[in-house]
Amino acid sequence: MTMKARALDDPPGGVLLWLIVGLELVTFAIVFALVAGVRRAQPDEFAAGQGALSPALGLTLTLLLITSGALAAQGVHRLRQTRLDDTRRWLLAAAGVGAAFLVVKAVDCSAHLGAGHRLGSSDFWDAYLLATGFHFVHVVVGVALLLFVSLRRAVFDDVETAYAGAALFWHLCDVVWFFLFPLFFVRA
Amino acid sequence: MRAATWALLVGLTCASVASGRLWLALVLAALKAVAVGLEFMELRHAARVHRWAFTGFVGLLTAGLLLAL
Repeated sequence: MTMKARALDDPPGGVLLWLIVGLELVTFAIVFALVAGVRRAQPDEFAAGQGALSPALGLTLTLLLITSGALAAQGVHRLRQTRLDDTRRWLLAAAGVGAAFLVVKAVDCSAHLGAGHRLGSSDFWDAYLLATGFHFVHVVVGVALLLFVSLRRAVFDDVETAYAGAALFWHLCDVVWFFLFPLFFVRA
Repeated sequence: MRAATWALLVGLTCASVASGRLWLALVLAALKAVAVGLEFMELRHAARVHRWAFTGFVGLLTAGLLLAL
């Protein structure tokens, strides 16, 4: 389906959500810079910390987010065809895969905490737990938004923007993880 | 296009793990971010300035990280 280019004051997902996404991207850019600073300043400690991380787990988490993002994008595509019930189902599927990400990440985090890798144990674990924890909170909000717009459609005057906005926030979680993944899981 | 983008993202992710090089993984991360922006976030259909602002931000972020590391 061909779409006409949108106007400057009508970005897909709405102006408000794009302002939030922009602010979040800048905030996470600062987080990435701090992680890069730790990685550069303490390469040995960082490499030792990375030894406790599983690249297979990082890959699994990434694939879950990518798949969930694709499901949300498919939902928005249906929305543009004004098939709202289809959109709802795709967004619920995206929320389901997003919830799987949360479960896997929570298990990973509790395993590290159980192994004594806590906040304050080293700069690497401070960086890992804080950066991925901050991202985890965003994924929780993203899943909650997807569920809320899917299950409580009646409360929105503008359902189209609500659906597209929730999906847009969800894709932010993808984009942020794309940079966290190499910073922590790719070894020097 | 969405299925093709998903396949591209999976391929780039596997490539970044297989490469084992941080600089390459960051460049691939930037490519994935732009792909998500253009296709999933629908910037392909947005005003040109929005498209370029997002792509420019991702480019600057990646360049900054490559310089910092």
